[in-house]
Amino acid sequence: MHEKKRNRQVKQMSRRAVDALFQALYLLTDIRFLLRETAPDHELDDEQKVRAGKAIEKLKKQVTILEEELS
Amino acid sequence: MKCTATIDTREVEELYVNIDPIQAGGRLTVDAQKAAIAYSDGYSVCDNCLKPFRLDYINKPPIAEFHRDCAEWLNMDAVRLVPGARRGFQAVASSLVEKGDPVLLTALSHYTEFASLEQAGADIHEVPKDDRNHITAENTAARIEEVTREAGKAPSLLFVEHVDYQYGNVHEIAEIAKVAHQYDIPVLLNGAYSVGIMPVDGKALGVDFIIGSGHKSMAAPAPSGIVATTHEYENIVFRTTQAKGDITGRTFGIKEVEMMGCTLMGVTAVGLVASFPAVKERVLHWDREVENANRVVDALCAIEGTRVESDMPREHTLTRINTLDSFDMVAKTHKKKGFFLSQSLKKKGIIGVIPGSTRVWKYNTYGLTDAQIAHVCRAFQDIAQENGLNVQ
Repeated sequence: MHEKKRNRQVKQMSRRAVDALFQALYLLTDIRFLLRETAPDHELDDEQKVRAGKAIEKLKKQVTILEEELS
Repeated sequence: MKCTATIDTREVEELYVNIDPIQAGGRLTVDAQKAAIAYSDGYSVCDNCLKPFRLDYINKPPIAEFHRDCAEWLNMDAVRLVPGARRGFQAVASSLVEKGDPVLLTALSHYTEFASLEQAGADIHEVPKDDRNHITAENTAARIEEVTREAGKAPSLLFVEHVDYQYGNVHEIAEIAKVAHQYDIPVLLNGAYSVGIMPVDGKALGVDFIIGSGHKSMAAPAPSGIVATTHEYENIVFRTTQAKGDITGRTFGIKEVEMMGCTLMGVTAVGLVASFPAVKERVLHWDREVENANRVVDALCAIEGTRVESDMPREHTLTRINTLDSFDMVAKTHKKKGFFLSQSLKKKGIIGVIPGSTRVWKYNTYGLTDAQIAHVCRAFQDIAQENGLNVQ
């Protein structure tokens, strides 16, 4: 199948929603690993708090995309 | 929390510090965890499998590249993915051992090494460990002589552990391999506790096969592992099928007999491949891991009556500890008996010590952060003091 045709089909299936879904899962995985490396107390240092904050902000954006695409 | 109606969510790595002796090196990296999400379906790595249709030829995801890089990283000539170290033992034993052949493994060998040789019909003999719980070249040479005399021919294969599962001791592999080769005996290195966590150089060690465990030491999902070999043996262990259907006339191209065609076809393969860059990086920091292992050992040995049965100072993160005269003394009168230790540890956020163990037990500190190491040290000493043991 030609690349252009395939891309058109992908677009119809909401590439944006699928990308947002996986991006959100990967961001959640980053947060999961923050929990792992700070177990058992989960007392985050300043650098870890920044990482957590950034991941959560990015996650919110992906959830917003999912809301836009799927509602 | 439930994962499904009948399966609990596994959240031990998020809630606790896990010092289980066999789990430490197999915890996934963040990249492997992400790859596992994307490639969770059965034949997920096969989307772009093109002619000649074999796992180690797949370029997307980069499984072919992994095979090349892994061989180079181990300083060997060829690598294949296998479903766990045991399947690597099995492939080599099946290729090199004829029924009735004498073979050698060691007094510290894992049961799967025995099973793979038994399956090949081998006449199995052990090399004894010495007083320090080490397998030595001297004992190996003596045992080769004995077995050769008894069997009338030299062993066809020697299995030896780089790091054994009982003590976590590092053995003198280069010297052992040199001795074995003087008798033309090929050497298989069981690297289940070394490949992926500490530097391993096949040529420097002089071994003919290296077996690694993905889920034990390469931060990969189970069951996964690798078998690596040299040009001398790759066409033997990785020989392609010659089978032909007598009715259909079918042949099966370049499928490898011992690999049963393809081996890891989904999340196991992609997890191992995804972790590989981080695994290569982490072995460079092995000295830090050993330093951490010694911090915990020092903390435990400060508890009166506690001694280490593994080599000291530690050269590996897997450690066998004897607390017969410390925690086991507490267990004798404690209302929870031997379970007090694992339960007390759990209350302090630590798991991995077998419930009920207070005599001789093992733990592994691999991969813990400095803060987690400090937490483990403090927890053991606090539990000792809370139960009336002296801490120096």
